[in-house]
Amino acid sequence: MSNLYDLLAYEVVEGIEEGLFTAEEYVCSVIKRIEGVESKLHSFISLDSEGALSSAKLIDRKLKEKENIGLLGGVTVGIKDNISTKDIRTTCASNILKDYVPSYDGTVIRHLKENGAIILGKLNLDEFGMGSTTEYSRFMPTHNPWNLDYVPGGSSGGCGAAVAAGECTVSLGSDTGGSIRCPASFCSVVGLKPTYGKVSRYGLISYANSLEQIGPICRSVKDVVMIMNIISGKDMNDNTSVSSSPITINDKSNNLDIAIVKELIDGSDDAVTRTIYSTSEKFKEIRCECNEISIKNLNYALPSYYTLASAEASSNLARYDNIRYGFDLPIDDYKWDNYFSNVRKNFGEEVKRRILIGSYVLSSGYYSKYYLKARRLRSLLRLELLTLFKKYDLLIGPTMPILPFKFGEKIDDPLKMYLVDINTVIANLAGIPAITLPVGFSNGLPIGLQIMAAPFEEQKLIDASYALENTINIQRRPNLI
Amino acid sequence: MISKDELAYLAKISKIDLSEDEAEKFPKQLERTIEYIDILEQLSSDDPIVLDLQEIKFDELRDDVIYTSGGRPINKNLTEDGFLKGPKMK
Repeated sequence: MSNLYDLLAYEVVEGIEEGLFTAEEYVCSVIKRIEGVESKLHSFISLDSEGALSSAKLIDRKLKEKENIGLLGGVTVGIKDNISTKDIRTTCASNILKDYVPSYDGTVIRHLKENGAIILGKLNLDEFGMGSTTEYSRFMPTHNPWNLDYVPGGSSGGCGAAVAAGECTVSLGSDTGGSIRCPASFCSVVGLKPTYGKVSRYGLISYANSLEQIGPICRSVKDVVMIMNIISGKDMNDNTSVSSSPITINDKSNNLDIAIVKELIDGSDDAVTRTIYSTSEKFKEIRCECNEISIKNLNYALPSYYTLASAEASSNLARYDNIRYGFDLPIDDYKWDNYFSNVRKNFGEEVKRRILIGSYVLSSGYYSKYYLKARRLRSLLRLELLTLFKKYDLLIGPTMPILPFKFGEKIDDPLKMYLVDINTVIANLAGIPAITLPVGFSNGLPIGLQIMAAPFEEQKLIDASYALENTINIQRRPNLI
Repeated sequence: MISKDELAYLAKISKIDLSEDEAEKFPKQLERTIEYIDILEQLSSDDPIVLDLQEIKFDELRDDVIYTSGGRPINKNLTEDGFLKGPKMK
């Protein structure tokens, strides 16, 4: 048998249930893998090896006593460190929350635990999810397992790197403007940003509520389906969540009508463009029609996204006042405004920039010039996409227009960093589902295909992705020693 | 160009102290971002904003009942009477 840490989630569950190995043996294998590669990758902010081992022993005991171990019985899951985990530190990779230990589990964590998943630890991100490389983490950057000199993408960079390297079997990230899909693409794994409302956001520490969703990062489409069916659903603690049908794995894709979005290709690196076009040819092999289309107003999408995300961030992050939790700073020594300003200087530069931009676009005089225009674009874009989805089942393009890049290449120019998100923000603005799938490499660096569908049409994304995954023969595991 | 005074005002309303280095480099960086989003001015449409990602009906809201998580209570800055203590206003 191959290394147990290498197994996919459904293989882990089957193996434990059939007695091929114990949950403890599998978890030990994953922990040993972490010990072997973590010093190179820096995926984890907090690791709960002891808790994971005792959960594994409990699974083994349950199995011995013929009790139900759950649909994810024994599977190790890494959690982006902006999702609340009861009694496990949840930092958002920020100094502001570096000692914060939540008193409750987010709804997705509760669902995972109820289904036997083992929460292995908390994974690195750009501070509060603001960034595309993990370089804005206040603790350390995560490295790309395919080439340690390169960024893993972000903001869920710890999730992408850990799953690709076998440090956990699956992970949960969050996606506000591409934060699941960017690292999944850069680390050559599968990442899904669900339809807005499909997964409860209760317990996700807010950055931009109207844009963000929690979703899985996995090594296979089948694992994505397993996780999605567990974390989806209506939650009384999130009034934007809704019930939706479960997703299934179908062996045949159903003659889907697919359109390549021209604007997503334009401006992409040559290697990325070539790979996306050759992948689109593969859709024909699985009996799908593939045409090329244009989306009007797409050039306004990224400016709108940064306007709205910054505006929401400036409101959301106003809550970090150090009163209920935070630094040990005696309130008696300060006046009201000085106290808050002094505490909040501990935000990192990128978070400060976004709060300032948010304050700017919401100021009287600029509100209608920026914020209202951005909302108008969002409305127009959603309507245009919904119209397109009446004709096409799926829209495709490169997830990232560029290959992973080296550390430090964009960190000094915030605008250059923002442009990295140009293809992914569309799905967040429109509230539609989007998946990224590994489809190739150039110079050893991964390339991902993004597939978007109409709201709650995750099944079509999965059908196309699963069929494509089976036709693409690429290296699945980085050569990390 | 965002002036240093404008930056100081934005920092004040955002309640953030900036370091000398940030005060020096932020005006140019923010200006570049604002120039980029200025393109939104060219968006011409009088269509109404329709954005009902999820329609929430009033009678679907949960009852206003307190549920406790069973976790550790946060006691920081609580007085003995259970009031939350903040810094002085003046």
